[in-house]
Amino acid sequence: MASRRRMLLKVIILGDSGVGKTSLMNQYVNKKFSNQYKATIGADFLTKEIQVEDRLFTLQMLILPFLQIWDTAGQERFQSLGVAFYRGADCCVLVYDVNVVKSFDNLNNWREEFLIQASPSDPENFPFVVLGNKIDVDGGNSRVVSEKKAKAWCASKGNIPYFETSAKEGINVEAAFECIAKNALKNEPEEEIYLPDTVDMAGSSRLQSSSSGCEC
Amino acid sequence: MDSASDAPIKSLRPADREPNIAAGLQQVSATEARLSSVTLKDSSSRDGEDRVPSNGSLPADFYDAGEEIEAEDEEAPPSVAAAPEGSFEGDIAWRDGQGMDGEAPPSPSSSGYAGERGSSGDSSGIVEESDGSGGVSQVDWDKGKQRLHENMQDDASVSWRKRKKHFIILSHSGKPIYSRYGDEHKLAGFAATLQAIISFVENGRDRLKCVRAGKHQVVFLVKGPIYLVCICCTEEPYESLREQLELLYGQMLLILTKSIDRCFEKNPKFDMTPLLGGTEAVFSSLIHSFGWNPATFLHAYTCLPLAYSTRQAAGAILQDVADSGVLFAILMCKHKVISLVGAQKATLHPDDMLLLANFILSSESFRTSESFSPICLPRYNPMAFLYAYVQYLDVDTYLTLLSTNSDAFYHLKDCRIRIESVLVKSNVLNEVQRSIMEGGMHVEDLPVDSSLRSGSASNHLGMGRSEPVLVPQSGSGGPAGLWHFIYRSINLDQYVSSEFSSPLNNFSQHKRLYRAYQRLYASMHDQQTGPHKTQYKRDEDYVLFCWITQDFELYAAFDPLADKAQAIKTCNRVCQWVRDLENEIFLFGGSPFSW
Ligand SMILES: Nc1nc2c(ncn2[C@@H]2O[C@H](COP(=O)(O)OP(=O)(O)OP(=O)(O)O)[C@@H](O)[C@H]2O)c(=O)[nH]1
Ligand SMILES: [Mg+2]
Repeated sequence: MASRRRMLLKVIILGDSGVGKTSLMNQYVNKKFSNQYKATIGADFLTKEIQVEDRLFTLQMLILPFLQIWDTAGQERFQSLGVAFYRGADCCVLVYDVNVVKSFDNLNNWREEFLIQASPSDPENFPFVVLGNKIDVDGGNSRVVSEKKAKAWCASKGNIPYFETSAKEGINVEAAFECIAKNALKNEPEEEIYLPDTVDMAGSSRLQSSSSGCEC
Repeated sequence: MDSASDAPIKSLRPADREPNIAAGLQQVSATEARLSSVTLKDSSSRDGEDRVPSNGSLPADFYDAGEEIEAEDEEAPPSVAAAPEGSFEGDIAWRDGQGMDGEAPPSPSSSGYAGERGSSGDSSGIVEESDGSGGVSQVDWDKGKQRLHENMQDDASVSWRKRKKHFIILSHSGKPIYSRYGDEHKLAGFAATLQAIISFVENGRDRLKCVRAGKHQVVFLVKGPIYLVCICCTEEPYESLREQLELLYGQMLLILTKSIDRCFEKNPKFDMTPLLGGTEAVFSSLIHSFGWNPATFLHAYTCLPLAYSTRQAAGAILQDVADSGVLFAILMCKHKVISLVGAQKATLHPDDMLLLANFILSSESFRTSESFSPICLPRYNPMAFLYAYVQYLDVDTYLTLLSTNSDAFYHLKDCRIRIESVLVKSNVLNEVQRSIMEGGMHVEDLPVDSSLRSGSASNHLGMGRSEPVLVPQSGSGGPAGLWHFIYRSINLDQYVSSEFSSPLNNFSQHKRLYRAYQRLYASMHDQQTGPHKTQYKRDEDYVLFCWITQDFELYAAFDPLADKAQAIKTCNRVCQWVRDLENEIFLFGGSPFSW
């Protein structure tokens, strides 16, 4: 009883180019950080196992390429990847750079993009997490989006949990991902009973189904 | 281990799949001992490579007891879509799953960057163990996998990448469902990569069949929301690999039915791994059989050689119960059929028989007590469950009674009691044991003149081994350098294969020969040509001969130095020999196929 089965959570990470998505992942998964910037061209897939409240989770994290809506040349072929990538997502992480106002403004677009592509069954309650990254830059002096403003936006979207992070200094990164797992625990669906059909041969079976194919 | 907390699931793993009404529930321990270590996957591009959505490169790490460990040095493993050369090669090795503990590959968390991976380990830990026996039981594979879980690595790990043949099942949202090697969860990133590749192509209204990357082939099979992928460097033909994926899918359906699709329709997040918990041995044993069981590519079954009257006796009592509302009654000895009977018009496909036998033989729990378990025969009806009553009558012989009725347990139990007592009385079970001891057809016994032989048939009839057995005496094969043959009767959907004899002495040689047959099979069935076809092929290992008519297919392997004219004559004699013995080596009448 101590060990319930592990849950695999598919986590999509979205945000403008350069806000630090890849850096956050590297910090989280590898505890590494690099100042060098290399744009993510394809998609990044990472896995990390964590334990939260005695439950083991595997986070399957996807950083999608910066593409679609605002991007132009050369990226078109990724566009159609959208739906498939988003399919079956358990959580979506939206990242912006607290020093770049545009990246914050775009959160709304990213969120909508996600909801369109993933079309979750209950969009109102789909779990998002917002990360305001790069709080370390210039000791916080170059910051243009206030915590208050960000929190207000999150509140307006159904109380999205909000974290201020620094991939560089490893601030709040763990906490943010732990929150994702906790969220998933909360929303864990009641497991359905799996009941396939039974072949209807003599008319005696309980679960007769239209699809039974016995030709008897 | 799943437990009470999972109670609401009507879980179907064999462990709890044995309502086992009489004996009560018995928990088979699911292979769940898993580490909680931090792991990482195909991370990041920062260090270097530009990446296409393919960077979840081939992983590698499980000292499974399975075959196919590569013994050579690896290089940076190829990305799926890229095509580096020669990174995976080596001899086929059989490893018994011992002593892997000292070889823990580098911690995955220390080699997260793609750029570091190529150099993060060496291959010295993997020992090639070319065996003489090859006799590794299915239980061992199970253990092997379990052990894997214990010091399992992700796809970045060296030993994962060294595996010659991977099978991975994932969902259309990229969630791993099964992996032959390694821990499914730790392959999540890799699975996401595969999903990305598949989806990308599908979005272009196209279908991805196969990617070649150097020596590697990546073969894809998309079945609605289920994606199956084989990655290998075994040089098997695409068609064969695809059929293996079909069988793997069929095995999954056997456990869960195709109704699983509906779960994905309702909820793309659906995680079906809990439903498959505890069935890993079933899959690994099936995959293992791709290397030794010709039924996997011939789509035919094989019988245990028995005197005609013995088989008749078994068939009669099975027919008796079939008339009382049993859909199929199947008496088997390991992978070989003793007799089988179907209710009127119900036909059993050889692939279903293969999958069912594999399921039963690889689930330890069936051995210990009578069981009653829902199963699906995908070729019969992929959507629905049947109920299988299974009972071993002796160590190797087991009776399977299939019913459509979930309440049939007591009826089937009664049937089994009747059948068992008749089988004992009529000495069938003893005859079965004797047949096992004697083996099947030995090429050394090929009669010079078939007329001499007819009549004394019951001596050495047979078929291929169901598992690696001791090699018979020495000598080097039969007349004209004949080493081995398989004869498949098209009308009967049955085949018979000769016992292995020197110089085909060990499992890897057997496997190599099967692979050669398999290639032959693929090439013969490739193009549609006339009803009579032959192929004669000589390479450094064998002379291979294939002859296909409307009635049968013959596959024969000779010494590479064999004389062609002699070989052809010998093939004719083999066919005659098989026909002379057909009453003992094939099942007639009782088989639904014969109508
Ligand atoms: N000071 C500081 N720099 C950061 C932080 N996070 C990321 N950076 C830097 O910001 C730049 C971009 O970071 P990336 O992680 O590549 O951004 P991204 O969101 O993955 O960008 P794309 O791949 O183009 O979508 C890099 O030079 C990082 O070193 C942070 O928390 N603090
Ligand atoms: Mg990036």
